[in-house]
Amino acid sequence: MRSPAKHLAALATGAVVLAAACTSAPASDNVLRIAMGSPGEAQIRVWDDVAKQFEAANPGMKVELNYQDDDLYQTIGLQNLLNGRNAPDIYFEWTGNRLAQRVKDGFAADISSKFDSGPLAGLFDDTTLDEYKIEDKIVMVPYSADVTNVLWYNKQILADAGVQPPTSWEELLAVCDTLNAAGVTPIASGNKDLWAAGNWLSHMASRVVGEDAYVSTLGGTGKFATPEWEKAFGYITELADHKCVNESANSIDDNEGAQLFFQGKAAMHPIGSWLVSWAIDEAPDLDFDYVNLPAMPDGAGNQDSVIGVQTGFVINAKSAKVDKAAEFMAMLNSDENVQKLIEAEVTPLTKSASAGQDIDSRSANLTALLNDAPAIVLPPDTGYDLEMADALYAAEAAVLGGQQTPAEALGGIDKKIGR
Amino acid sequence: MKSTRPVTPYLFLAPALAVFGFAVLAPMLLTVGFSFTEWNGFGPMTFVGVDNYARATADAVFRDSFVHVVIYILATLVLEVALGLGLAGLLSVGRGGLWFRVAFFAPVMLPLVVVAVLWSFVYNADFGLINAGLGAIGLHDFQRVWLGDTSTALLAVSFVSGWVFAGFYMMIFYAAFRQIPNEVLEAARMDGAGEWALFRLVKVPMIRNAIAVAILLCVTGGFQGFDLFFVLTNGGPYGSTEIPTTYLVKTVFRNGDVGYGSAMAVVLTAIVLGVGFVYTRLHRPGTTA
Repeated sequence: MRSPAKHLAALATGAVVLAAACTSAPASDNVLRIAMGSPGEAQIRVWDDVAKQFEAANPGMKVELNYQDDDLYQTIGLQNLLNGRNAPDIYFEWTGNRLAQRVKDGFAADISSKFDSGPLAGLFDDTTLDEYKIEDKIVMVPYSADVTNVLWYNKQILADAGVQPPTSWEELLAVCDTLNAAGVTPIASGNKDLWAAGNWLSHMASRVVGEDAYVSTLGGTGKFATPEWEKAFGYITELADHKCVNESANSIDDNEGAQLFFQGKAAMHPIGSWLVSWAIDEAPDLDFDYVNLPAMPDGAGNQDSVIGVQTGFVINAKSAKVDKAAEFMAMLNSDENVQKLIEAEVTPLTKSASAGQDIDSRSANLTALLNDAPAIVLPPDTGYDLEMADALYAAEAAVLGGQQTPAEALGGIDKKIGR
Repeated sequence: MKSTRPVTPYLFLAPALAVFGFAVLAPMLLTVGFSFTEWNGFGPMTFVGVDNYARATADAVFRDSFVHVVIYILATLVLEVALGLGLAGLLSVGRGGLWFRVAFFAPVMLPLVVVAVLWSFVYNADFGLINAGLGAIGLHDFQRVWLGDTSTALLAVSFVSGWVFAGFYMMIFYAAFRQIPNEVLEAARMDGAGEWALFRLVKVPMIRNAIAVAILLCVTGGFQGFDLFFVLTNGGPYGSTEIPTTYLVKTVFRNGDVGYGSAMAVVLTAIVLGVGFVYTRLHRPGTTA
């Protein structure tokens, strides 16, 4: 007779076998699965349309599009999908550290051959593709380029206050003082989740410490608590001293921060290129434009640098449909569909994109700003290690809120990430 | 008499054991296992011994998160349990209790995320109801950035928690009050006890076990709090509302540090189990009533 312990062991073994059966395995059916953070209604319409085109051209194939909440996708969403039973064949990703991690974990196919003689051949410039290579292999299909931070301004409010959009640090502080005296909040930021002002202030820091020091500190093992970084953070203290940013910055999210700008309660708003389509939808009467980050005095970096990120779609190395996935991406990047993407306020990176006629002038200028930038700075949270980025953003928020001195905040980053 | 089919009891147990194994035991054991590794959730896993536990001990944010959750629990003991008890006492006296019960219990039925979004509008410093109300009656000096000020954020979240769960505890206590024999209450009244004395000296002592359960629920539930904090403040401002669960979720799902997050989960679970164990030992049935 078997003992109770043996019965329980048998049950446990069965459970483990069942659990193993439930874990990740690439689907080999006729469904092409595509995952991304929700790109907004306009882009979703284009994607749905391309999916129909693909299904019509490939009888028997079905395209399944999975649009997740942006934050969810960036954190837990994609990770869960990649480890699920029906992992996506194609998924959205940012260049930089995240893409390198996908390659390291075996979730990014080497698709170089698809650009040499396959369906994607001739669609992109070689210089564009260089940004999508890891160890000389192309591992992502380019999609768009986003400037993640410029200083948007309300033309009417600045005109009423008799000031010009600031192009230098001194001008920015002077504009803050003038607007405050007029009872207008100079800059609205929704920084509850830390990345919104974090992007802006990190770009400012890169201008002060220089791009090389920025890259080596964020991407390496060097300490933040250096005189250069302290000088950079000193400018954040100046922003706080001049009351440039709304008092509620650390308690509201990026949506609420944008609403302050849309409703004319703040004169300026530092955020990325996605504001254009958003503002057109939610504040159609708002007369707004942008300036790049004002030049920093005595900065070691290039004062015309642009903070931005390139995005694209990775073909899952574990997919059984790599060829079909490449065909889908080629179809998405056809001349006709690229024009539709432009109409949906995307900034595609294909050669044919430059022929777009209907693009908003501000979006077009932002594309030119990124293309012509003498130096491109990667945002900490998409270009580098997330834990480090969080520590940096939290430190910047603490200085902006007057909670810590630059030295305290920088020392705190080093301590938090063990440097 | 000895059973001729010794396997039969285990077959009956099997479905429940399988569910327990999948839903509770396996995740717990896996979490303990992960806590000794450095792992991002899908890449290679490296055994690091007790490094993650050493890191948790030295992590000031993790340490402070327990201070915050203890303050939150103390606040909710007042705003949920004590207030619920008071409301139940009032409802057990007056008429028209049904409407009040429905009104106070209604927030319990709302998903916490919905509640949090709703209150984020109420607390909003620029457009919110509270500051607008204060401004309308001329109390501009009392206007605050409720969720952006380290001195008010944690209490603001605790208040929302109280708004939701005071009704829940009220219902528990109200039901317990209804179990008190009328003879006891009548005897007290005949001895000259007013409603306040009746509540304090008769009703509350007689539902002591229900109160003990409510306190246990509130304390252990407090450690599990997440939704309100995540939506209302996301741990801010400046980490002043960071609690173990929000920090854990950020560590695992944002930073992809499953090993360290698992170690934090093990520590948190051990503390909650420890608190529950000590509390139940101190309040064994029969020792209080």
